[in-house]
Amino acid sequence: MLYISKSLTKLLGELKKLPGVGEKTALRLAFHLLKSPANVNALAESLLEVNNKVRFCSLCFGITEDDPCAICTGDRDESIICLVEEPQDMLAIERSQSFKGHYHVLQGALSPLNGITPANLTIAELLRRFAQGNIREAVLATNFTVEGEATALYLTRLIKPLGIRVTRLAHGIPTGQDLEYVDAATMQRALEGRSEL
Amino acid sequence: MILNKIYIHSFRNLEETEISFGSRFNVFYGKNAQGKTNLLESIFLLGTMKSFRMARNGDLIKWGADYGLLKGWVEKENVTREISLLLEKQGRKAKIDQKQVTKLADFFGSLNVVVFSPEEIAMVRGMPDARRRYLDRAIFSGDASYLRLYQEYYKILKNRNTLLKNGDTNGLDVWSDKLAETGARLITKRIAYLSEIKGLLGDFYSNIAGNGEEAGVIYHSHLPDKERLLADSGALLREALTKSAAEERRRGVTVVGPHRDDLEFLLNGKVLKHHASQGQQRSYILALKMAEIEYIRQRFDYPPVLLLDDMTSELDRERSRNLMEFLETKQMQVFITTTSLNNVMLKDAENYCTFSIESGKVLN
Repeated sequence: MLYISKSLTKLLGELKKLPGVGEKTALRLAFHLLKSPANVNALAESLLEVNNKVRFCSLCFGITEDDPCAICTGDRDESIICLVEEPQDMLAIERSQSFKGHYHVLQGALSPLNGITPANLTIAELLRRFAQGNIREAVLATNFTVEGEATALYLTRLIKPLGIRVTRLAHGIPTGQDLEYVDAATMQRALEGRSEL
Repeated sequence: MILNKIYIHSFRNLEETEISFGSRFNVFYGKNAQGKTNLLESIFLLGTMKSFRMARNGDLIKWGADYGLLKGWVEKENVTREISLLLEKQGRKAKIDQKQVTKLADFFGSLNVVVFSPEEIAMVRGMPDARRRYLDRAIFSGDASYLRLYQEYYKILKNRNTLLKNGDTNGLDVWSDKLAETGARLITKRIAYLSEIKGLLGDFYSNIAGNGEEAGVIYHSHLPDKERLLADSGALLREALTKSAAEERRRGVTVVGPHRDDLEFLLNGKVLKHHASQGQQRSYILALKMAEIEYIRQRFDYPPVLLLDDMTSELDRERSRNLMEFLETKQMQVFITTTSLNNVMLKDAENYCTFSIESGKVLN
């Protein structure tokens, strides 16, 4: 590609750093942009704008333009806090419009294999929030993976002794799902967690 | 379960071919190094995506070719499915009825195979990992959910070992608990499998050996207290982890758990490795395989396909006759390789299809 255009080669290189983008996708994106200069300006501006304005909330570590974020300063239930791995998990819960408490983004999950230990998560900051004394329940909403489960167990050990109620998201069969398509492991969990009516 | 037909293209030394099989005994005969075992291996690959000879793709693809292709038509409960496996230098791609399959667990059960080959004897005398591998694979072939549990356990183990290696104790507790919990489930499934096949193993061994010797198997865990192992393996494993903390710190690895456990093969109550002849050891492994077959048959209501590699070099005349007589009473498809047809005692000739193999060519 070098012999055609150095700047194009550079763009391809940058695009390929993005997740899910390989050689072919990078070429497709680059040539699409070449054909529509108006889009290029808008895209470049929004990239810079996001980069300049969006940051992590100093309280909950969610993404925000104003620090502290709208959720942390908003009129929400201060007695309950939901712990998630990433900002996008927080957005997923917000979309459900069924949680009215506060959040705390851990910025990852325990994974010694990838070099992530408690010190790499925002746990010290979380404990500081607990120390202020208003929180009565912590909802653990880490992922249902080996790492997420380990993180949930770690946090339970840490938080329970503080006299705070610790709960975990339920898991099992998705809403609107036909039973016949549920995989064996999910079905097993669903049966274990069945509830009385 | 019956493999009706196979198509082979650029695999090992075999010529491109399509072969129809009989529903009972299929005997591949010919001199050594002609391709008999390659044929058996192609069937095993279609069933498991793996080779029983620890081969890499480069070895499996015919010399000079870019890829190899295997297809099998498998009949189960009156439905025939087409399984195909594309071998490329970089990887393997499986399809069932022309649809791509990405997860091993989805491929599971499309063609169940059990193999008995000269290499298996290493399982008796070799390191524990060969026996663990056998056990895990055998359980998985009857219980697809075992794979997930197994992968989960090893992921937790690797994470925990990383902490130990780094001498980082913050959070170690959590990984210990997870390891104990998942490890206990693994141990429970292993013990349950062994207790299911124990009786079968004994019966099959006496059928093959034709004497009063008694074959047994026990799960050899590094955890003490056999009584509690079944009832309370989680707590037991947790205690053992605590006890071995000092050793773990020194060595930087997890020293107890199902990843260290072993199988103990017994004949007349004595350890097979030390107290049995070659012939006894071979008969034992064969009986173990037969028990595995019966286990699969009981679980799914159909038997897997049995692959016997170079059987006659494995067993003496008496034992191989016992085996053939025994197999003739079982409704199941069997593939056998042998150097001479005379080695395979034909009783009921119409049950047999024979194929001669010469320099990679299969002649019917």
